[in-house]
Amino acid sequence: MSEYDNVWLVIPAYNEGQVIAEVVEGARKTFPNIVVVDDGCTDDTAQHVMTTGAHLVRHPVNLGQGAALQTGLKYALEQEGAEYFATFDADGQHQTADVEKMVALLREGEADIVLGSRFIEQTGQVPWIKRVVLRTAAAVSPTARKLKLTDAHNGLRVMNREAASRIKITMNGMAHASEIVSFLAGSDLRVAEVPVDILYTDYSRAKGQSLINGVNILFDISLRERNRR
Amino acid sequence: MNHLWIQLILVVAAVAMALLFVRRWDAANTRAWKRIAFALFVIANVVAILWPSGVTKLATALGVGRGTDLVLYLMVIAMGFLTLNTYLRFRSLEKKLTDLARTVAITEGVRHNSDRLDTPVGSDH
Repeated sequence: MSEYDNVWLVIPAYNEGQVIAEVVEGARKTFPNIVVVDDGCTDDTAQHVMTTGAHLVRHPVNLGQGAALQTGLKYALEQEGAEYFATFDADGQHQTADVEKMVALLREGEADIVLGSRFIEQTGQVPWIKRVVLRTAAAVSPTARKLKLTDAHNGLRVMNREAASRIKITMNGMAHASEIVSFLAGSDLRVAEVPVDILYTDYSRAKGQSLINGVNILFDISLRERNRR
Repeated sequence: MNHLWIQLILVVAAVAMALLFVRRWDAANTRAWKRIAFALFVIANVVAILWPSGVTKLATALGVGRGTDLVLYLMVIAMGFLTLNTYLRFRSLEKKLTDLARTVAITEGVRHNSDRLDTPVGSDH
């Protein structure tokens, strides 16, 4: 038994075979419950996950990170005793210490969802071009402004059951981050933001989304309204 | 020459496209309109083939110089609707595929994980 028995980590993974086992085992030292969503990987990610104690859910085809997150959340919500849900990156850039901090905040009952931010405390680890783009994205996004968020595109989030069951990610691709933020802005859920450390390793840098992909995200978002039935 | 008619038609078509984009595309009455549009298209084809000078007469009446130009304009409109239709159809297919894949993934996951991890795995909420 651990004090984090009611916490579930959701890790979407697409071709992360190189690092996934290490990331999962590292996180499992603190969080016993982990579900990795294999988003139709073409590498050996699934085999690596099976060497660990994490749950594995496999999309039969590649759908995108947003879809993988939603699948993972749905799976975790169905597990007995699950109360807190964290979305965690597969490439090792998130720290379990940050998740502990965020869970503690939720347990105090002050918020329904806690988002990680790279910009509350200047850690100097974020590459400057990324910093400019992400800060601009947060500043021009009306929903992020409404919630007073400093970082609308951080993959590290921890939420309680209420928030997890109400979030429905429909943007399969990378636009889900903005989708979640705009959903939160329109809901009565209490949102908090805490500083987190992101490790920009060579691996995560190479795997990370390129800035040009921001164009795709903007396009997807502009079309989202009509898809919300 | 009076360009008003063709301008009106083109603007209405553009607005209709924008409206369809933000409204439900697969609603039954939208589908009916698509069928009506298709029927009109077929009739217009037959008329244009049997009576080529009619197209030019119509074009002149609408304020377009030549029949060829009118056909070009209408083709642009048709092309726009077609692209939109295809895009929205893909979106709706993608949603269905996602729901299907998610159901398969979770059902399989529950089965495999309870075997592999030797713990009960919930799925019946």
